[in-house]
Amino acid sequence: MKNRSLFIFVSLLVLASMVLAACQPAADEAAVVERAYEEIAYSEPMSVAADSCDYGGKIKSVAAVDELTVEFTMCKPDPAFPTKAAFTPFGIYPLEWLNTYANAEGQETLLSAPVGTGPFYLDTWARGDSITMKKFDGYWGDKPAYDTLVFRWATEGAARLLELQSGTVDQITNPSPDDYATIQDDATLTFLPVANPNVLYLAMTNTFTPFDDIRVRQAIAMGVDRQRVVDNFYAEGSTVPSHFTPCSLPNGCVGDAWYEFDVDAAKALLAEAGYPDGFETAIYYRDVFRGYLPEPALVAVEFQTQLRDNLGIEAEVIVMESGEFIDESTNGRLDGLYLLGWGADYPHVTNFLDFHFAASNPQYGDPHPEIYEVLEAASQIGNPADAESLYVEANNAIRELVPMVPIANGASASAALATVDNAHFRPFGAPLLGRVDPGKDTFVYMQNAEPISLFCQDETDGESLAPCQQVVETLLGYAIDSGDVVPELATGCTSNEDTTVWTCTLREGVTFHDGTKMDANDVVASWAAGIDAANANHIGNTGAFEYYSYLFDGLMNLEE
Amino acid sequence: MAAITDTTNSEDKKDYRSNSLARLTLRRIIRQRSAVIGGTILGLLILVAIFAPVLAPYDPEEVLIGKEDIKKRSSPCIHLLGCPEDQPQHILGVDGNVRDVFSRVIFGTRVSLFIGFSTVGFAIVIGTFLGAVGGYAGGWLDNLIMRFMDVLLAFPSFLLAIAIVSVLGRGLQNALLAIGIVTIPVYARVVRASVLSVKEQEYVSASLALGGSHFHILFTRILPNAIPPLIVQGTLGIATAILDAAALSFLGLGAQPPTPEWGTMLGSERNQVFTAPHLVFFPGLAIMITVLSFNLLGDGLRDAIDPRLKQ
Repeated sequence: MKNRSLFIFVSLLVLASMVLAACQPAADEAAVVERAYEEIAYSEPMSVAADSCDYGGKIKSVAAVDELTVEFTMCKPDPAFPTKAAFTPFGIYPLEWLNTYANAEGQETLLSAPVGTGPFYLDTWARGDSITMKKFDGYWGDKPAYDTLVFRWATEGAARLLELQSGTVDQITNPSPDDYATIQDDATLTFLPVANPNVLYLAMTNTFTPFDDIRVRQAIAMGVDRQRVVDNFYAEGSTVPSHFTPCSLPNGCVGDAWYEFDVDAAKALLAEAGYPDGFETAIYYRDVFRGYLPEPALVAVEFQTQLRDNLGIEAEVIVMESGEFIDESTNGRLDGLYLLGWGADYPHVTNFLDFHFAASNPQYGDPHPEIYEVLEAASQIGNPADAESLYVEANNAIRELVPMVPIANGASASAALATVDNAHFRPFGAPLLGRVDPGKDTFVYMQNAEPISLFCQDETDGESLAPCQQVVETLLGYAIDSGDVVPELATGCTSNEDTTVWTCTLREGVTFHDGTKMDANDVVASWAAGIDAANANHIGNTGAFEYYSYLFDGLMNLEE
Repeated sequence: MAAITDTTNSEDKKDYRSNSLARLTLRRIIRQRSAVIGGTILGLLILVAIFAPVLAPYDPEEVLIGKEDIKKRSSPCIHLLGCPEDQPQHILGVDGNVRDVFSRVIFGTRVSLFIGFSTVGFAIVIGTFLGAVGGYAGGWLDNLIMRFMDVLLAFPSFLLAIAIVSVLGRGLQNALLAIGIVTIPVYARVVRASVLSVKEQEYVSASLALGGSHFHILFTRILPNAIPPLIVQGTLGIATAILDAAALSFLGLGAQPPTPEWGTMLGSERNQVFTAPHLVFFPGLAIMITVLSFNLLGDGLRDAIDPRLKQ
């Protein structure tokens, strides 16, 4: 009798365990990263909104309509919304993950261990060495052909090429232009020209003397021989820009062309400004290889020489750590000239002009209303032909006010082992490394530098965006070989007639790496963390959320 | 009355003169082959530094873009060795900013020798003063000075120099100061050790008994006897200082562009080690020859004049 009771008790216990196991949420089976939070099932639609449109920004509200529909309501027309929303910083994270880590205590995890829906999930980030990602078996799209993706970095082009030639990495970014011929002649390597429009510029901050004087800025614009820089320090195919925005983008090159090199006119302007013998200043730069700046140190010294010889300006060359340089320059805290550039993130003129010359951007000191007011008006017009006259006005104002001097449109390249199938470097956005096939289990991608962080809502550098691209996805994306916008987490986004309301329909059955299911509230929470300065999750790395601010004319609910 | 006469004949006088300390030392140095080789190389380097404007065919900071039909990082071209006459001659090639490498290496000699002599001079003056005062005074003052020196010695000297430059700001002057500061303890210890042994000698006690002031005794009776090991240490120290300064410049903390400093030249072209090796080879060779000359000279001097090795 006693044995029978024990048998029944044990049987019931086993049965109960099986029932409990069966009741486990199905999503957890798909989880590949540990999570310290419970999934919040979609029930109430979330939204985020500005009090009014008086704050000057473009976005009035982001709201979940139902589980798979999100509506973006604009304060003013925004025909370029899909192109912007396809860009990596506008990636979608789980609501629960943001709520858990987007705070002071969880910030380290927020910045270093992103959770997304991409084809790879983050395995480890060995600081100073590498980032390892693993194939996400629960990925909604075509799964990668290999298991492990490794990001490594080396600041020197020669070192990157050496690693590629020795086969320890499969693809590298930005080989030195001096090595292009070597790569092209090597049958074991594939040379991948990069068609990304870019510009190097020599910038000044108008809140520092003597750059507060427009004549000084104009003198520098006329007093540097840009052709000489391009001819001697850039790869074949590089050009001297006629405008800030590269001409391959519609309305990029409308308006008057940039100043001709004219030392006499430049000296006359300097003398008129009270600096007949020049002045002392600094040229700041970061020693990071970019398509728009292949040899930073040499170009900095070249400008030092030209400024001294042409205008009598004695400039000290100062190299800065990359993160510090970006922070100081983009916040308008550098008191001298500085070398910075821009590679197109998406194929629209707003990516160049609105980002750099928006009213909320302090990069060049006090913003110029002559530029940003026109840009705000132009960005509301969908048809490029209709907006042309406004961009003519904006480009002419940039030429007149000289917040910076556009120096070069650099030709650049990437290189991969010939054994890598579908190796590519997209014209817009980071490579889609889930699409390549190295013919083995591991693919190693070597870039110029270590990411600053992996929370890319609040990063702007390419080294951070490339690994983010593999982990976190956006509502829309860019095609692998063009700037065409294609569906990603949304099957599509449609607008009303005047592009003031954009409605995005989400893809069904998408799960995050933590096993939670993606729904409209995740989209609202992700956008709220970026665009809403008053949101509890608006933490990020520096807290600047530059892309949200500059591309949408400012952050909503920002306290003065 | 017996006349007092000079009993030493002229031959003896000659012998005495020929055996004076200076001559003896010089003879010993000349007998040291390494000292002769090091001294000869150093002498040539000093001549190169003095006559740099005459020897260098170009201004070391002159960018030749638009002045000559030559591309950046061109290889050496020597007409005597078959380089076509229609090409401009640059015997060590041109660098990434299209400047003559030979001229920059020549002028770099000035910078490096200045770095070596000035940093070691600074460290010797301060170190000698601290070591002499500590060794002669003894007691708490000696303890205070030498424990502070021990603290400085406890840090890896180059890391300490980097830290000092980081605080003071990049640039050649600050790099010199940093290297000078981190080498002070070496000289302080050498001088203190000498002072401790010499101050016990009878002639020092005699001077004291005759009423000589401490200052007089320290600087005229004791310190002159501490100079030989200081010279040896200083000569070897110059080599280290030149290397440290080159390393700081390589890291971007020392001499700044466009100064023709060898470490800066190496640093700015380090990426070209495979594509344009001449741009890192020649500045590296210049550093090696200079450091070697001081090391050979220092070794020879030590063998010749260090009292500890006289036996």
